[in-house]
Amino acid sequence: MNVSDLSAPPRGRGLLIPLLLALLVFVGLPAMLAGFDRGYFYQIANLALIFILLSASMHLVTGVAGLLHLGHAAFYGVGAYTAALLSTKFGLGFTVTLPLSGVVAALIAFLVALPTMRLVSIYFAVATLAIGQMLYLVMLNWVEFTKGPNGIIVTKGLELFGFSLSGRLATYYTVATVVALCVLAIGRLSHSYYGNALRSIREDDQCADAMGVSTARLKMEAFTLSAFFAGVAGSLWAHMTGYISPGDFKFSESILILAMVVVGGLGSLPGAVIGALLLILLPEGLRAFGDFRNIMVGLVMFLSILLLPKGLLGEVSALQLARRQLGAAWRNTVKGEGIGWR
Amino acid sequence: MIDPYYLQQLAIGLSLGMTYALMAIGFTLIFGVLNVVNFAHGEVYTLGAFAGLVLISATAPPIFAVIFIALAIGAMAGFSLERIAFKPFRRFTDEASLKSRAMRESTLLSSLAVSIVVREALEIVFGSQMRSVPFEYLINTPVRIGPVILVTGDFIIFGVAAAMLIGLQYLLTRTRIGLSIRAVSNNPLGAKYVGIDTDRTIIMTFVVGSMMGAAAGILTGLYYGAIFPAMGFVPGIKAFVAMVMGGLSSIPGAVICALILGISESMATTFVSSGWSDMVAYGFLILTLIFFPNGLFGARRERV
Repeated sequence: MNVSDLSAPPRGRGLLIPLLLALLVFVGLPAMLAGFDRGYFYQIANLALIFILLSASMHLVTGVAGLLHLGHAAFYGVGAYTAALLSTKFGLGFTVTLPLSGVVAALIAFLVALPTMRLVSIYFAVATLAIGQMLYLVMLNWVEFTKGPNGIIVTKGLELFGFSLSGRLATYYTVATVVALCVLAIGRLSHSYYGNALRSIREDDQCADAMGVSTARLKMEAFTLSAFFAGVAGSLWAHMTGYISPGDFKFSESILILAMVVVGGLGSLPGAVIGALLLILLPEGLRAFGDFRNIMVGLVMFLSILLLPKGLLGEVSALQLARRQLGAAWRNTVKGEGIGWR
Repeated sequence: MIDPYYLQQLAIGLSLGMTYALMAIGFTLIFGVLNVVNFAHGEVYTLGAFAGLVLISATAPPIFAVIFIALAIGAMAGFSLERIAFKPFRRFTDEASLKSRAMRESTLLSSLAVSIVVREALEIVFGSQMRSVPFEYLINTPVRIGPVILVTGDFIIFGVAAAMLIGLQYLLTRTRIGLSIRAVSNNPLGAKYVGIDTDRTIIMTFVVGSMMGAAAGILTGLYYGAIFPAMGFVPGIKAFVAMVMGGLSSIPGAVICALILGISESMATTFVSSGWSDMVAYGFLILTLIFFPNGLFGARRERV
């Protein structure tokens, strides 16, 4: 059996699962939401989508690159505050603030990453914790700029080049489209040679360094990219809810996002999505029994570390899934071109 | 002549630094034996404070009984914490898995998870609002020394903390259990080979460290008169900063850095509003990590 046989799975199956998922998100769920027609369900659906994006961006830095990030919510907050301040002070709309929030969050991440990126393991975790807390303190205490604990009311809703998208269904579709595109981008980043380079840093960064992988640069890129996606999520949140306050971006939110990634399985993108769904929908489902949201987060996280150390959908099975799905697009060397996914 | 105001801030900073030092010792001891960070240490602090509060509202005991019960609860909390969050992840005891990253990160995450559960459980039982300590237990009667006005709490905190530090020093250098703690933190596998019960030693370390954390909790609670479920978070981070500044495994280093941190924080409140004073600790942490990655007093490490 030669190499080309190994890497050429039967065609045709490759698009089935993504197609089904897209159908569910863009046709099935909206139909259900429209059927129930209750604002509460729309809110939960949008919240779950935003946390899917946050958890997927955390997956890139913590799961794939193996950097324990304890300040992710702060970059989410930076995105939300950028969107809110740009729209209240300069009257900019969602179309402009969405990319700008991502860029500002990424810029701040890049600046803080410059000195801290050579730290490893627990030192890195502590540094991100401190950075997250510093950003949180700025949001809380710089009252003239961020309005402090009172928060900011964002009057501009979602819109696209001037067309208002602030109806319930339109909001859902906008959030879903942005999140789907971002998750797709993260998927391509983490299931590629680029993702494999990040994984090599996670497994043994000294060895990867010796093999010619530029570890410091890749770590920095992963950190900055994940902050970009977190910033985009923050902008969605600010325009969707119309009100933000520092309480939405404190340490416990970072832990919630971390718990999603851990419960789903470190290093697995489908796992991160499942973890986000579980930790958003489960507490909402249990709301009837009282406010157990945070204690559930802790319990689910503890039990999953204890009983399912690899997560609900672990990395190996996720990689196999990705290989089957993307395998249809795999090319071995064709007339001098390199191998890889197209 | 120094303005008496600064002397006063210095004294307040010293007693604040002493509570951080008590917390930081717990972190340092546990990091020493297990090479992992115990993220639930802040919750031990909170539990100590709440134990004292419950005792005060149930009966009207003398203040030493309050501190004693906080210590007892701290010891119990440390014991159960080790059993619940750390023991299950020590299934493999060979050297490779003791040093493996996966194990260290899973205990880190499990202690984080336990700390969330404890904090939220306290919030469900006691409510998330601040509970005030009865007036007669507050340790803030003013004491005048020359031009400086201090409160009794400064002396009590300083005294209790100093006594505990001396006790710890005695325990570590003069008793068998202290010897085994030092042995395990030096080389866990070697300690096992010469017949030390490492499991028991680890439990003892948690008990001792958590007693100090709980004492810090009740003392701070009586000093400020406010006890609430999230109170352990900020001191936990400060103590952690002190530990990192001190070089992770050095107890004197952690104590000195905790004092530096306490003093610079109380001095900082002179110039900026108190909301910003937490920035001092985070700033110190980042600066230490960048410029002195081995800590100010730590031994050399291969990589940080």
